[in-house]
Amino acid sequence: MSIQYALLRLYPRCWRERYAEEMLAVLEQRPLSLTDGLNLFFGVLDAHLHPHLGTTGMPLYERILHMFLTLRRSLLTLFCAYVGFIVAGIGFQKLTEYSDFTEAAQANSLMGLTFNLVVIGAVVALLAILVGGLPIAFAVIRSSLARKRYGSLVLLAGPLIAFVIFLGTTLLLEAADHPNAEPIVQLFTHRSIFLGIFFAAAIASPVAVCFAVIRSEIPEKLLHFALLPFILATLSMLLVLVATIIWGLSLHNSVPALFNSNEGMFGTSTSGSWIKIVIMMAIATIIAVVAVLRGWSARSALRTTPA
Amino acid sequence: MDKFNLSRFSDPPVMILASLADGPKHGYAIMEDIEAFAGVHLGPGTLYGAIARLEAQGLIEPLEAEERRRPYRLTANGIAFLQEQLSSIKSFASMGLARLAGI
Repeated sequence: MSIQYALLRLYPRCWRERYAEEMLAVLEQRPLSLTDGLNLFFGVLDAHLHPHLGTTGMPLYERILHMFLTLRRSLLTLFCAYVGFIVAGIGFQKLTEYSDFTEAAQANSLMGLTFNLVVIGAVVALLAILVGGLPIAFAVIRSSLARKRYGSLVLLAGPLIAFVIFLGTTLLLEAADHPNAEPIVQLFTHRSIFLGIFFAAAIASPVAVCFAVIRSEIPEKLLHFALLPFILATLSMLLVLVATIIWGLSLHNSVPALFNSNEGMFGTSTSGSWIKIVIMMAIATIIAVVAVLRGWSARSALRTTPA
Repeated sequence: MDKFNLSRFSDPPVMILASLADGPKHGYAIMEDIEAFAGVHLGPGTLYGAIARLEAQGLIEPLEAEERRRPYRLTANGIAFLQEQLSSIKSFASMGLARLAGI
């Protein structure tokens, strides 16, 4: 497979169906230079960020459906990215709950400010997700009751069920502490189960919600509306990410001993935990930004396409 | 479809429209023509990004494919848009030249 063909395969499907053959005909005219290869790669990014391009050959109904599905997919992707961000945020909260960090934040104004920004950003993001997501959740319930497809209701309750299972497992683990057991073995087993259940719940919850939404009839206007608060949520995620980075750098500069200590979750390296949290937040934020751009493009196309 | 974004793709779309002003052309012919008259090499990603936008805006339209090559031609809106763009470039150039003449 030639590099040209491989790069063309990275374009969205509807784009490939419309332009791939003629683009390949152009690319075969001369050897692909590095500049043209990069140009093609940026063209791939551009096509993914503007999903309405390449749909001009589609019948109107298919084009509208394509844009509707893209908008819905973008919102669901953004929701999943937000959940991933929250998981990283929980890590940050656990990291900073020790008194050493509170004292450092009180002594260093930049650390205190960035910590407050993290809290403010987290609250705004949560509210924005609720404002955009709750009308969709109600639409899922209405659709489920109207069509008598109660499976969607069970899926929508997925996060609650996952939380109950997680809570129940945590309580069971506490109760299962055996005084005669080998401490290291017990600690390792308990932590493994705890983390396993935590990540399983974190993955299962958004997946269940996504399936509930996909199986339901959601009015288009709710998706249009949801994108606006979801943009705010993405901006808040960006704020929290930047604040978390500055917080860590301030800690490194002002209290290097604490930064290099082992105050991370389960006694792991503080700096290592911070880096992992930042990486996870950054990945979630990038996914959210891409989803917003795709969603906005689809939303604009839907608003200007005659129904 | 969303509004044509001139700020991002100001040059390639106008050059493509100008290239199509003397008749329909397929992608590679457009690319070569622009290289000949403007000395600008449009990468394949830029070329087809601009073609897709121009098509979405109804400024160009595809003709029947000739094997794997598909020619494009200007629509009435495309002609009007190109005229508007070139007129504004012309008045800008005239103004600049007139000022230079006064130096």
